[in-house]
Amino acid sequence: MQKSIIILILLSLCIGTGAWLFFIWTVKRGDFDDIEGPKYRMLDDEEDDQNAPGDHREP
Amino acid sequence: MSVPDTCIHCKLQIPPADLVIDQIDGKELHFCCRGCQGVYRIISGAGLNSFYQRRDWPEAGIPPGAFESRFDEAQLSGHVMTLDPTSAEISLVIEGIRCASCVWLLEKLLAREPGIDSVRVNYGTHRAQLRFNPQETSPASIFAYISRLGYLPHPFTSGAAQQAAAREQRSLLIRFGTAAFLSMQLMGFSLALYGGYFHGIDPGIRQMIQYFAAAVTTPVIFYSGWPFLAGAWRSLKNRAPSMDLLISLGVLTAYGYSISALLTGGEVYFDTAAMIVTLILLGRLFEGSARTRAISGIDKLLQLAPDSATRLNGEELEIVASASLVPGDTILVRPGERIPVDGRISDGITELDESTISGEAMPVMRRQGDSAAAGTLNLTASIKLIVERVAAESFIARIARMVEDAQNRKAPIQSLADRVATLFVPLVTLVAAGTWVFWLSREVPHAEALLNAVSVLIVACPCALGLATPTAVLVASGSAAARGILFRGGDILEMAGRVNLVAFDKTGTLTLGRPTVAEVLPAPGQSVAGILALAGQLESGSSHPLARGIMARAKAEGVPPRTTGSVVTIPGRGLQMTSADADVLIGSRTFLEENGVELPTLDSGAMTEVHVSRNGSWQGALLVQDPLRDEALEAVTKLQQMGLGTVLLTGDRAETAGQVGTSLAISDYLADLSPADKAAWIRARQRAGGTIMMVGDGINDAPALSIADVGCAMAGGTDIALETSDLVLTRPALGRLYEAVFIARLTLQTIRQNLFWAFSYNLVTIPLAASGQLAPVWAAVAMACSSVLVVSNSLHLGRRVRHAFSVASRPENN
Repeated sequence: MQKSIIILILLSLCIGTGAWLFFIWTVKRGDFDDIEGPKYRMLDDEEDDQNAPGDHREP
Repeated sequence: MSVPDTCIHCKLQIPPADLVIDQIDGKELHFCCRGCQGVYRIISGAGLNSFYQRRDWPEAGIPPGAFESRFDEAQLSGHVMTLDPTSAEISLVIEGIRCASCVWLLEKLLAREPGIDSVRVNYGTHRAQLRFNPQETSPASIFAYISRLGYLPHPFTSGAAQQAAAREQRSLLIRFGTAAFLSMQLMGFSLALYGGYFHGIDPGIRQMIQYFAAAVTTPVIFYSGWPFLAGAWRSLKNRAPSMDLLISLGVLTAYGYSISALLTGGEVYFDTAAMIVTLILLGRLFEGSARTRAISGIDKLLQLAPDSATRLNGEELEIVASASLVPGDTILVRPGERIPVDGRISDGITELDESTISGEAMPVMRRQGDSAAAGTLNLTASIKLIVERVAAESFIARIARMVEDAQNRKAPIQSLADRVATLFVPLVTLVAAGTWVFWLSREVPHAEALLNAVSVLIVACPCALGLATPTAVLVASGSAAARGILFRGGDILEMAGRVNLVAFDKTGTLTLGRPTVAEVLPAPGQSVAGILALAGQLESGSSHPLARGIMARAKAEGVPPRTTGSVVTIPGRGLQMTSADADVLIGSRTFLEENGVELPTLDSGAMTEVHVSRNGSWQGALLVQDPLRDEALEAVTKLQQMGLGTVLLTGDRAETAGQVGTSLAISDYLADLSPADKAAWIRARQRAGGTIMMVGDGINDAPALSIADVGCAMAGGTDIALETSDLVLTRPALGRLYEAVFIARLTLQTIRQNLFWAFSYNLVTIPLAASGQLAPVWAAVAMACSSVLVVSNSLHLGRRVRHAFSVASRPENN
């Protein structure tokens, strides 16, 4: 009983630590530096590669 | 898609003489100049036609083709960071970004340039980070390309202070993220412990869970909570008790008690300590991002004046540092360059974009003998300038110094919670010490006396007290932001609630800042349409603000603009058109009188007279004025009804100020004020005990905005005004000002209520704890109750704000 509790607690700590490290990585990468831009970038529905067919779409 | 008389690229009206017609993709398109045609071809050729659907700027952009500045390779290479032989990075600030579509266009087009590996433009700060291959391209050619697109790039190396602020904000985010993650883990442990307290738990398991709880709480207190601990240490050293000290005291006693309970087998309260740290960090995070932006204002101001200038040594050109110029030097300023120092034009006629100084978006004609201020942008032609002041004394440097001075002089706002802490901390410490001494004198065991003293500190734990302000501020700034009102931090919210005098700037704030024709007065025998048609003929080619007003009226009346003959601009006077059958003049009273036209006397009041004559005889006049905003009267009246004083501070003539004052029922007005005068007036009123809000939009308001207790700017004002202000209205609607004050007052009231609830909890529990009557678990229950009360009272604030404005605005909406 006590053993299984310890294992479960440690497991949840490990998963949590993984998420925490991921978060630290995104902060260091600068993902939170511009919090205004992404909402506009999201609306930009054109493909990023150079000769995307979408680029020549006429409205 | 194209309206026949506007340019498809820049949307400006096309002067008929300048019409450029081009066939692109089988369609006939109209342009106002070759520059626009060229840019259209670049954009269209790159397959980015949808730019024209997604751009949404209210006014036409920076005049196309205005920039011809040369970018100096040697100077730029100082800003390049070389990573390896085939890749390097450069940071730049791009001027002229107005909306998300500019960012989109820049990113797309730059990414297609050969040699550019990646580019990221920050929408909020207009900064770009560019990675390129130095063997394929050079910074100068990248800069030239950006300027060809109609934007003005500056190399950017952020100052040490800014970098520190950015690092600070990131570390705060990580601290908060860590605290949130660990508190979530802790919540599970606490739940088990609380369950165990009421239903029984195996002592072995209980102790194990307590150890886990201690393990996750320790980093929350000493890593995440470090800013508070450091702040508390500072406030101890300065002998000025602050909120930080109060928080640290509460957190450390709860933590210390729990650790000792862990070792002796008592109940632990790690969750209390961790929760305070997490919630207060969240509040700091919101305030921090707003502060960082305010600091960058001064740097931006000084960046307007370029670092280097082209000096003329006889016939020779020499590039020198702006700071080395002395009065009497002659410098050359090419189109697209900003003027480095204040001077007087000695040769050449050009148009200057003075929007940084006056807020007026339209270019102004300047010629030989006129003065030119540092920081203004030369648009059309090369000019020679005689330096009148050294760089450190230029207009822009003086304003920057005034702003900096004002910000330093302004005492930090002491928030309500800080003042409470000043009283509360010594009081609690005193009571705890008193308890200890009292129980010692009763000759109880040492341990018991100490425990009673510690329990005083624990129940005094300012949980609710710590939450009182942050939660109210969080809710209030959220509901304010939803209404387009941005407060730079909680202290500003509190301050705005205490304002008792509102000072307004006139042009662009109370008025629209756009001249319009108020009245057309035709001479006997002439028609209104006739005058407008005649005026329209001349003005259609002019970019003067008055001309735009007249053209707008002519268009509204359905008078088509047509040009016959050649139009000559006489700067500062008016326009003259000579054709085969007529000689037409339009302009100021003096201009026409100088040309021998007899004019009747008009009662124009504060309005500007524009007269029209044909072959020497007066045809009529147009009265032009800058109209008030529609909602100005209502906004001012509502503020006055709230018991606030109102005053008008303007650099304009007393006559105009008086007229605006009368129509808005503002009885106090001061005219002919310089930027320094405005700031001085506000400082004088502050000394007399007033709490002042300044509402303005121009660079000339910047010192006043920063010295006022609350500086308020509206969207549409200059960047500097927006950045030096504490309160920003994101829509140019004065009605929001009343809402801002209303929300601020409600917030102040809520904070006071919260503090009252928090205190009444302490008032009941501290005596109980001091007398040794309070079981720790009941203290915890009481603490939780008072926290819930405070949080729900703050949430209620949000409902009250929504309710107040949904009822108030419903009749208007229907």
